[in-house]
Amino acid sequence: MSDTVLVVDDSLTVRMDLVEAFEAAGFRATPCSTASEARAAFAGGGASVVVLDVLLPDGDGVELLGELRASPLGASVAVLMLSSEAEVKDRVRGLRMGADDYVGKPYDTGYVVAKARELVRARQAAGSPRPRTVLVIDDSVTFREVLREALEGAGYAVLVANDGEEGLRLAAAQRPDGVVVDGVLPGIDGASVIRHIRLDVALRDVPCVLLTGTEDGGAELRALDAGADAFVRKEEDIDAILARIGAALRRGAGAAAKEASSAHGPKKILAVDDSPTYLSELASVLRAERYEVVLARDGEEALELLAVEHVDCILLDRLMPGLGGQETCRRIKSAPIVRDVPLIMLTGMDDRGAMLDGLGAGADDYIAKSSEFEVLKARVRAQIRRKQFEDENRRIREELLKKEMEASEARAAHQLAAMRAGLVEELERKNRELEAFSYSVSHDLRAPLRGIDGLSKAILEDYGDALDERGHDYLRRVRGGAQRMAEIIDDLLQLAHVSGLELQRGSVDLSRRAREVFAELQRREPGRRVELLVADGLVVEADDRLMTIVLENLLGNAWKFTGKRAEARIELAAGEIEGETVYRVRDNGAGFDMAYVDRLFRSFQRLHSEADFPGTGIGLATVHRIIDRHGGRVWAEGTLDAGATISFSLGRKAGNAR
Amino acid sequence: MSTDACILLVEDNPDDVILTLRAFKKAHVANPIHVVSDGEEALAHLFAEASKDPPRLPAVILLDLNLPKVDGLTVLRRLRADERTRRLPVVVLTSSREERDIIGSYDLGANSFVRKPVDFDQFVDAARQLGLYWLVLNEPPPEVP
Repeated sequence: MSDTVLVVDDSLTVRMDLVEAFEAAGFRATPCSTASEARAAFAGGGASVVVLDVLLPDGDGVELLGELRASPLGASVAVLMLSSEAEVKDRVRGLRMGADDYVGKPYDTGYVVAKARELVRARQAAGSPRPRTVLVIDDSVTFREVLREALEGAGYAVLVANDGEEGLRLAAAQRPDGVVVDGVLPGIDGASVIRHIRLDVALRDVPCVLLTGTEDGGAELRALDAGADAFVRKEEDIDAILARIGAALRRGAGAAAKEASSAHGPKKILAVDDSPTYLSELASVLRAERYEVVLARDGEEALELLAVEHVDCILLDRLMPGLGGQETCRRIKSAPIVRDVPLIMLTGMDDRGAMLDGLGAGADDYIAKSSEFEVLKARVRAQIRRKQFEDENRRIREELLKKEMEASEARAAHQLAAMRAGLVEELERKNRELEAFSYSVSHDLRAPLRGIDGLSKAILEDYGDALDERGHDYLRRVRGGAQRMAEIIDDLLQLAHVSGLELQRGSVDLSRRAREVFAELQRREPGRRVELLVADGLVVEADDRLMTIVLENLLGNAWKFTGKRAEARIELAAGEIEGETVYRVRDNGAGFDMAYVDRLFRSFQRLHSEADFPGTGIGLATVHRIIDRHGGRVWAEGTLDAGATISFSLGRKAGNAR
Repeated sequence: MSTDACILLVEDNPDDVILTLRAFKKAHVANPIHVVSDGEEALAHLFAEASKDPPRLPAVILLDLNLPKVDGLTVLRRLRADERTRRLPVVVLTSSREERDIIGSYDLGANSFVRKPVDFDQFVDAARQLGLYWLVLNEPPPEVP
C-alpha cells in the first residue's frame, strides 16, 4: 500500500515538482495551494506525510502545523516544513511546533523525498496509530475473557485461540505483535507453541509471554528453554500481568525501530558563518552534492538550532562576532546529544596556531576557507563517512554487548530456575519419604505390639493356673511394656505430624477448648477430684487443632502431676509481659527442680520416674514445637513438690486476651 | 437378626486373627467368623457367595487395610462397584489412625472405621460394641433380587 503525501505550497512550480517526485517514488501525492485546502484534504484522512510551506496565502504554515498536531489524526503524521525563510528563528519555531524536519528553499527534491520516506518508515516501526495486536492462547474461557478485556482496555487488539494448533494457525495468518500463551493446554502445550513460533522465520521475533498457573519452578525453566520472553503467573494481579505483556511487546518494537533508521539516508549540514556571501556560496556547492544545508549567522544561532534539530555535520567559522567559533565549538563538544556530530572548523587564514586552537576546542577537522571547495567537499564526505562507521561500530558493539548480557541473564535465570526446581523436588521427595515413614510406623510398629499384649493376656487367662505369682507379674510387665511403647509411637507420630502440618490460623477460644479437654480427662478418671479455674474469653489467632494438642498436653500433665494431691487445682490464665500476652497453665502438683528446667522441652527427657508418674517425655517437646511454629515462646517455672507453671506466648499479633 | 449371621474377617496377620477371634469370643459374640487372609481371596469368596441362590453374604465385613495382593481400599472399591455387594456393611478395622486412611475409607463407602487398640482389654471392648451394633442393632440392607 502506498503512503499518501500532502504537498502544501502556494507555488505551482513547487507543487508540480514535488508531486512528480513523490509519485515517481511510489507515493500518492495530493497538491494543496492554501491552508484551507490542506485542512480539508487532511481531514479526509489517510495522509502519512505533509510537506508544508511556511508562507501560505491564507495563513501561516507553522500555525497550521500546530492545528494538525492538536487533532487526533495529526498527532502522528510526519511533517516536513519547507521555507525560503532563512532565519534560524523560523526554523526553531517550526521545529518547536512539532515539525519532523525543516527544509530550506531552494530544496533538493531527492532529499525531501528520501527524508519523507525515512520518517514514514520510522513511524511505522514505532507503530503508534495502528492498535497493536496480541494473540491470547488459553483453553480457560474465564481467564481468556478477563485478559481480553484488560488488553482491550489498554488499547490492544486481541485475537483468541482455544488451543495450541489454532493459536499457531492464527499467528501465521495474522502476524500478531505479541503472543500470550497458557503453559497448560490440550494438545500441544504452551512451551511447544513458543518453540514452534521461534522456529518460524516470519514469526521468530514476535515477543512471547508464557502463562503458568502453578508455583511450579519447572514451568519457569521450560518457558525459558522454549524461548519465551517473559512468563507470568496466572494468580498475579491482572495489572501486573498487563505490565509484563506491555514490557515484552515494547522490547519487540524497539528492535524493529532500530533497524528502520538507515545509515545511508539523506544528510543535513549546518553551516555557520557571519559572511552571507560565503554562506550562500557554500550552500549552493553543498546542495549540488544533495546535502540539505541549514545556515546560521553566528554561534548563538547555531546552538539554538542544534537544540531542536539534528544535523549530520557542522561547518563552523572560527572568526565570528559574539560567541566566536572557538567557544561555540567548545560548547557543542560538551553537549551530550550533539558532541558526536562531526565538526569542521573554517578559517580565513592558513594559520598553524589557529588550527591547533580549533582542534584543541574539540573540532574534528580544520580547513582553510581559501582552499578549493573540492577539498572542503571531500573533507565533509570523509567526516560523515567516519561518523557512519563509528555509529555502525558502536551499534554492533552495543548489539553484541546486549546479546551477551541477554545470554548471561538467560543463563543466570536458567540456573536459578533449575536450582529452584531441584530444591522443590528435593523437598517434595523428603516430605514423601517422611510421610511414608510415619505411615509405616503407624501401621507396622503397632501390629506386633498388639500381638505381644493380646497373647500375654491370653496366657494369663488360659494358663494362669500354671503360673506362679512371679510368672503373672512378668507377663503383666510384658503387657505394660507393650502398651507404653504404643503410647510412645502415638506421641512420636503426633510430634512428626505437628511439624508437617500446614498452619491454619483462625480464632481459637482457649477457654472453651481447655474446658473440653478437662472434661475428657475427668471422664477417663471419674474418681479424681480436681478443681479447674479457667479465665473466660481467652481468644487467640492460632491453629485450632494444634492449640488443642497444646492444651491436651499441658492440662494432661497438670492432671497427672496433681495425682497425689488431696486438693488438686489447675489454673489457666493470661497476663501481660512487656506488651506480649502470656498464657499460663499452673498446677499445685509435684512440680520440678528448676536445676533441670533446660531438659523439660526436649524429647524423651523426663524428670519423674515411670513408677511415680508415667509418661513418654514427648508431650512438652510437641508443645514447644507447636508454639515455635506460631512464632511464640514457651517456658516453665516450678518448685519441687509445690507445683509447676508452663507459660507461653503466641507472638505479638496473635494474643488477644479480653 | 439371627445369631448364625456370619462375619467375614479379612486379615493377613495370624496374631491379629487369633486376637480378633478371641476378642469376639470374650465379648460373647457367638456368630460364625469366616477368615480370609488377603484381598483377592476376600473378593473371590464374596462374589462366589453372592452368586449362590439364595446369596449367602455376611452380615458385616471386618476389613484390614494393609493386605497382600489386593489392598483393603481396593477391596472396598470393588465391593461398592458391584450391584450385589454395594450395600454390604463394611467396618474398616486397622492399625492406622492416618487421616488419609480414614478419609479414603469413608470416601469409598466404609460404614465404620475402627482402630485396633494395642491394649487387648480395649480390643475386647471394641469387639463387643462392634458385635452389638452390627449383628444386633443394625437393620441389614434388604436382599438384592
